[in-house]
Amino acid sequence: MPWFSFHFQDFALSFLSVLFEGIPFLLLGSLISGFVDVFVSSDRIARLLPKSSTASILLCGLLGLLFPMCECGSVVVIRRFIKKGLPLSSAVTYMLATPIVSPIVALSTFAAFKAHSPWEMTVLRLTLGFGVAAVVGLIVEKLPVSAILRPGALGEPTGPRRRAGLSVATAPAGETLDFGAIAQSAGFGKKLLLTVQSATADFLDVTVFLIMGAVVASVFNTAVNQEIIYPLATNPPLAIASLMTLRSLLSICSTTDAFIIASFATFPFAAKLAALVFGPLFDFKLFWLYNMLFKTRAVVALGIGLFIVIGLLCWRISALHLG
Amino acid sequence: MNSAFRRWLPCATLATWSTILLIFCVSGRMRAFLTPEFRLGALAAGIAMGVMALVFLLFPADANCCSAAECGHTFFRRSTGKIITFLILLLPITTAAMFSPSGYSGSVVKNRVAITDASQLGATPRNAATLKPVDMPLPTKDPNNAPAPQPATATQTAPPTAATAPQPSQQPPPAQDYLQRTPDGRIVAEVLDLLYAAQDNALRKDFEGKPVELIGQIMPDASNNASGKRFKAVRMFMTCCAADARPVAVLAESDTKPDLPEMSWIKISGTATFPVENGRRIAVLKADKVEKCNPPEETMLY
Repeated sequence: MPWFSFHFQDFALSFLSVLFEGIPFLLLGSLISGFVDVFVSSDRIARLLPKSSTASILLCGLLGLLFPMCECGSVVVIRRFIKKGLPLSSAVTYMLATPIVSPIVALSTFAAFKAHSPWEMTVLRLTLGFGVAAVVGLIVEKLPVSAILRPGALGEPTGPRRRAGLSVATAPAGETLDFGAIAQSAGFGKKLLLTVQSATADFLDVTVFLIMGAVVASVFNTAVNQEIIYPLATNPPLAIASLMTLRSLLSICSTTDAFIIASFATFPFAAKLAALVFGPLFDFKLFWLYNMLFKTRAVVALGIGLFIVIGLLCWRISALHLG
Repeated sequence: MNSAFRRWLPCATLATWSTILLIFCVSGRMRAFLTPEFRLGALAAGIAMGVMALVFLLFPADANCCSAAECGHTFFRRSTGKIITFLILLLPITTAAMFSPSGYSGSVVKNRVAITDASQLGATPRNAATLKPVDMPLPTKDPNNAPAPQPATATQTAPPTAATAPQPSQQPPPAQDYLQRTPDGRIVAEVLDLLYAAQDNALRKDFEGKPVELIGQIMPDASNNASGKRFKAVRMFMTCCAADARPVAVLAESDTKPDLPEMSWIKISGTATFPVENGRRIAVLKADKVEKCNPPEETMLY
C-alpha cells in the first residue's frame, strides 16, 4: 500500500464535511462578533473585567465553561473584543482556552475514554489546557502588542496607504467615518442591519482561512496511509510528538477529537493527552485563522512553543505513571 | 467595481453557500456528511446565510457600514486580491459539491485501517441497533388484547421498542426478543453489534451460532485469510462528520467469495461465530448467501 494515494472524490467528501461542520460555528462566531461590534461599547467591556490583569487572564481562561465556543468561532469573536478594548493577553487566553475548557469537551473526553482512565484524561486535559492558555496569556501581557498583532488587523491606520482589504464597503476617498459613533446613534432596525453587514464581513474574511485549512486536512486524512505512524507508538517521546502532529494535521473539532485519539490503542496515555491538549490550541486550520489576526512569526512561535511545552509536560506525566 | 465588492459578490457568495447547504439538507445527502446533531446546525446555517444574502441584495453595505479607515476586514489590498478571495470562497465548495460521492472509496478504508476490535471505539455508538434490551411490558390477563408482533426491518437507525416484542402470556419472554429480525427469523445485525458481542460475554450469547443478516461494503482481507475464503464487511463509523469517519469491519467467510468491486454494498446471510484467533476473540460471519444490495438510508454509522 503506497503511503500517498489521492482520489478527488474522497477528498471532496472529507473537505465538504469539514466545511459543513465548521461553518455553523463560524457563522455563530461572526454573528456574535457583529453584535458586539454594534451593540457593545468599549466602556462596558472595561467595566466587566477585573482591574488586575492576572485576574482578567484567569477569568478569561474559564469563560469557556459558561460560553463554550468552537475554535473556528473564537478567533472571529476575540478580534472584535480586542478592538473594543479587551486586553490582548485576556483575549489570547480566551481564544486558546475556550476550545478545551468547556463542558462539551469534558463530556466527550470522558465518554471517549470510558474504558481507559476517563477521570484522569478529562481532568488532566482541562487542567493542562487552562494552565497552558493562562501562561501564554501572561507571556503575551509582557510583550508589545506590535510584536504580536498583524498591522491593520483591527482597522488601525497603517500608514499613508489606506488598506481597503476585503471590506464589503469602502469609504469615499478622503473620508474617514466613525463606525462606532454611527452604530451608537442608529435606531434598532439600522443596528440590526449593521450587525448583519459586519457579521458578513467577518464571516467572509475568516472562511477563506477555514477553506485553506480544510483543504490540507482533507488531503492528509484521505490520501495518507495512517499506518505509517504506528511503529512510533513504542517510543514515548516519538509517540507523543507523532500523535500531536497527526492531531494537528487532521484538524478535528475539539468536541469530538477524543473519540478519534482514543482509537489509537497502541499509543500511550501521555501521547493521547498531549494530542488532545495541543490539537485544539494549534492545528493546521487554526494556523491559518491565527494568521488573519497575528503576525506569522508570532503564530509560528506559538505553535513551536506549545508543541514543546505540552510535549514535555505530558512526557513528565508519563514518567509519573498517571493514567 | 466597488459595487461588486459591496453588494453582488458577498450576496452571490452567501447565496451559493446557502443553496448548497439547503440542497444537501433537503435532499438527504447531508446524511453522508454529518451526524444528526450537526445536521440541524448546517440547516440553520443555510437558512441564516440565505437571509444574509437577501439583506445584502436589498440593503447593500455602504460607507456608513464599514469605513475603510476602521475596517478590520483586511486580506488583500487590491481588487485582484479581493477577486481571488471570492474565488477561494466559491470555487472549492461548488466543485466539491458537484463531485462529492455518498461514500468513501476503498482507498480511504485502507489508509485509515479498519477497526476490527470494539475496544478501540470508545463510547457506545448511538445507532447500534441491538445493544440494549428494552423493558418488557407487563403480561396481560387477556391474550387477545396483546399487540401483534411487528416484522423486524433491516433499517439502520430504528431502536428496539416494546412494540416489537409480543407478550401474550404470563411467561417471561426469551432474551433475544429485543433483537430486530427479518420475516424469516434472522437477526438483523450491524457490524458494530458483532464487534461488541466479541468483547461482551452476555451480548455474545444472543448472537453466537444464530442466523444473522448483515449489510456492509465488501473489502478484501489480507491479514487473517490463510484459506482465502475470507473478506471484510465494512461500515464507516463517524463521530461528528465524514472527515473523522473510521472503517469498522467484521470478517465474513464464504466458500464462494463474491466477485464484486471493492466497497460494493452487500447483504450477508449467515451464522455468527466468535472464534479465538491470535489470542483474541473475533467475530466471523459464516456466510450462507452473499448478494449485492442497495445502500441503506444511512450509509454511515454513528
